[in-house]
Amino acid sequence: MSFTQTIYNTVFRRTSSYALAIVVGAVFFERFFDQLGDGLFDYMNKGMQSHMQATCSKQWKDLKQDLALRQSSDEDE
Amino acid sequence: MIAASRLGVSLPHVSATSQIVASQLRPAVISLSSASKDVIPERHEFWHTQQSLSASAPKSCFLRATSAVHGPSQVRYAHTDITVPDFTEYRRETTAAANRSAEAGSVDRRAFTYMLVGGGAVAGAYSAKSLVTDFVSTMAASADVLAMAKIEIKLSDIPEGKNMTFKWRGKPLFVRHRTAEEIEEVAAVDVNSLRHPEHDSERVKVPEWLVLIGVCTHLGCVPIANAGEFGGYFCPCHGSHYDASGRIRKGPAPLNLEVPEYEFTSDDLMIVG
Repeated sequence: MSFTQTIYNTVFRRTSSYALAIVVGAVFFERFFDQLGDGLFDYMNKGMQSHMQATCSKQWKDLKQDLALRQSSDEDE
Repeated sequence: MIAASRLGVSLPHVSATSQIVASQLRPAVISLSSASKDVIPERHEFWHTQQSLSASAPKSCFLRATSAVHGPSQVRYAHTDITVPDFTEYRRETTAAANRSAEAGSVDRRAFTYMLVGGGAVAGAYSAKSLVTDFVSTMAASADVLAMAKIEIKLSDIPEGKNMTFKWRGKPLFVRHRTAEEIEEVAAVDVNSLRHPEHDSERVKVPEWLVLIGVCTHLGCVPIANAGEFGGYFCPCHGSHYDASGRIRKGPAPLNLEVPEYEFTSDDLMIVG
C-alpha cells in the first residue's frame, strides 16, 4: 500500500476526518503563514546595517537594542 | 421510415422492414416504398400496450426504435460514420490510454483532487478567521486608549483611616487606607446576613487597601466617605449605607460597590485598570 493510498484511506475517505484534517491544518497553516509574514516584514525593515558601527534601525525593537548598546558603550568610556 | 415506425398496429410489417434496414438506411427506404403497394396489413383483434409495443419494436446493433400508445414513437440510428472526438489533450497522463482500465491509478488521482480542495479549504478557513478577527478587533480599545485608562496611585500619600477620591475612566475612584479596627469589623460580619453576600476577603487583595468605584449601585450618585451608620460610605441621594468594605448594609441600593481591576506594582505603587 503506497503512501498516497494510506493518506487517502485514513484522511480523505471519510468526510469527518477530512474536515478535521482541514481544521487542524488551518491551525498550523496560520502559525506558519503569520510567522512567515512577520519574518518577511522584519527582514524588509531591518534598516541600514553599515560597516561603520553606526546602525540605522527602523523598528522600535531594533532601536531599543541599539540604544542599550550605545548606553553601555557610553558607560565604558 | 419514420412513417413505418409510427404504424404500430402493423408491426409484422415494420419489423420485417426494419430487419432489412438494420445495417443500412438507403435500401430500406426503397424496399418500403416498393413493397407498400401490395401489403395489406392484417387486422388482429389485439390491443397493444406500452410493453407490447416496446417489446416488438425493432432493436438491433445500429437501430433503436421505441413506440408507445400515447407517447411519441422514434427511431434512432447509431451512426457509424461519425468518428469519436479525440480527448487525449484533456486527459491526465494516467488515463490517456483508451484501451486500459483507469481504475488502477484512481486513488492517486482522487488523493490529488482532495489535496487541492483541502488546501483551498485550509487557506479559506485562515482567511475567514483573520477577516473576522480583524473586524472584531476594530471594536477593541486601541493601545493608547488603554494606556490612558490606567491610573497610578502612590499609596504613601494616603494616610491610615483616610479615603481618597480619584478620577478614573470618567468615574470617581475611592482608595481607602483602612485601619486595623475597620478590617476586623468588616471581616467579622456574617456573610449570610448581607443583602449582597460577599466576604471582605473577596473584595480586597491587601486588607489595608480598599479600592472601589464611587458610584452608588442604586441610581448612580457618588457616596460620601466616612459617613453613614456603618462607618464606610453613605449615599446622600436616597440614603444607602455601605460599610468599610463597600458592601450595602442599609438603604435602597441592591448591590455592593463595584471593585475594579487593580494590582500592586511595588510597595508604594498601585495601578488601577
